[in-house]
Amino acid sequence: MSAPTTPAASAATPTTHPAPPTPAGLLRLFVGVALVGIGGGLPAHTRRALNARGWMTDAEFAEAYTLAQLTPGPNAVNLAAMIGARLLGGMGAALSVVGILTPGLIAMLTVTAVTLGLPGGLPSGVQSGLRGAACAALGVMLTAALPVLKVTAGIRFGPTLAIITFLLLAALRADLLLVLAGTVIVGLIIHRPRSGE
Amino acid sequence: MTAEPLDILLTFARLGLVSFGGANLPEIERVLVEQKGWITPQLLANGFALGQVMPGPNMLAMTHYGFAAGGWLGAFAATLGFYGPTALLSAAAMTAWQRLSRWRWLPALRSALLPFGAGVLLAGVLVLARGSIHSWTGALIAAASFALLWRTRLNAAVIVVGAAVLGAVLRL
Repeated sequence: MSAPTTPAASAATPTTHPAPPTPAGLLRLFVGVALVGIGGGLPAHTRRALNARGWMTDAEFAEAYTLAQLTPGPNAVNLAAMIGARLLGGMGAALSVVGILTPGLIAMLTVTAVTLGLPGGLPSGVQSGLRGAACAALGVMLTAALPVLKVTAGIRFGPTLAIITFLLLAALRADLLLVLAGTVIVGLIIHRPRSGE
Repeated sequence: MTAEPLDILLTFARLGLVSFGGANLPEIERVLVEQKGWITPQLLANGFALGQVMPGPNMLAMTHYGFAAGGWLGAFAATLGFYGPTALLSAAAMTAWQRLSRWRWLPALRSALLPFGAGVLLAGVLVLARGSIHSWTGALIAAASFALLWRTRLNAAVIVVGAAVLGAVLRL
């Protein structure tokens, strides 16, 4: 991070000899990322952990991050699968996904079993608390949406297509796959690669 | 009412595969609340809120919904269905990435997918707002959380827990 590095330069001049990734090390890394990632920001924590171990350059990480945005599914878990696959193949991918999911899964199952298992539903105080938390979660979701909205604003016809998608899904309750197909076809026509570029 | 584990697995697998850039809340609501009737809008909002204070990915809410649909087995089926196929796809995509990165249609595909993702996110905000905002106090809490996250470096989990305490005190 101190000097602008290219993948070639950072590979040629290692300051220390990092220990190579091991299955157990990969599992530990992603369990750690999950534990510090309460409240979000998992990709940032992943990048920091990989940097600390010298397992991936910033350029390689940026590549994986972009790809994680393009594949369907939850980004943070996709990113873990990709990094695991890159470092240790199929087993690495499986261990990374298990690692990033396990802490939250245990916590969520515990809370869920208690709250949903109560006879007669939640006590009113707990339900009131959850209502408050849900309102805050809406605020969290809005801030998470901001970067995507900002990038979209810079794309030609991006805002228009985003608003059309929003209206089709929210107001007309249109089928998602049809809307996806339509938006992507229109987008590809608008942004088709021109010869000479 | 308990749903079949296989039905839960396949339903959540489909929901995972049609999520781009995070959670696809409009589709989750359409399928789980309206079509299947496995969860209520209130439970959708509750699970989403719980996901914010859990370690790891926020969409562990899916585990909560799966439990509501089919108990312990349902929770595992939902988790496996939602995360399994997309993780497999991601790992496969990574191995193909070196070739893909030189593909001249890739920037076009990215520019085409991002506005769709933005539209889905906006629709998701609306779905969540309908499930969680029932009063002016609630709207104020949401607006204050957004402002705090935007203007300060406070951890999102701290804000959500704070709002939970506020909600319990105010009898929201």
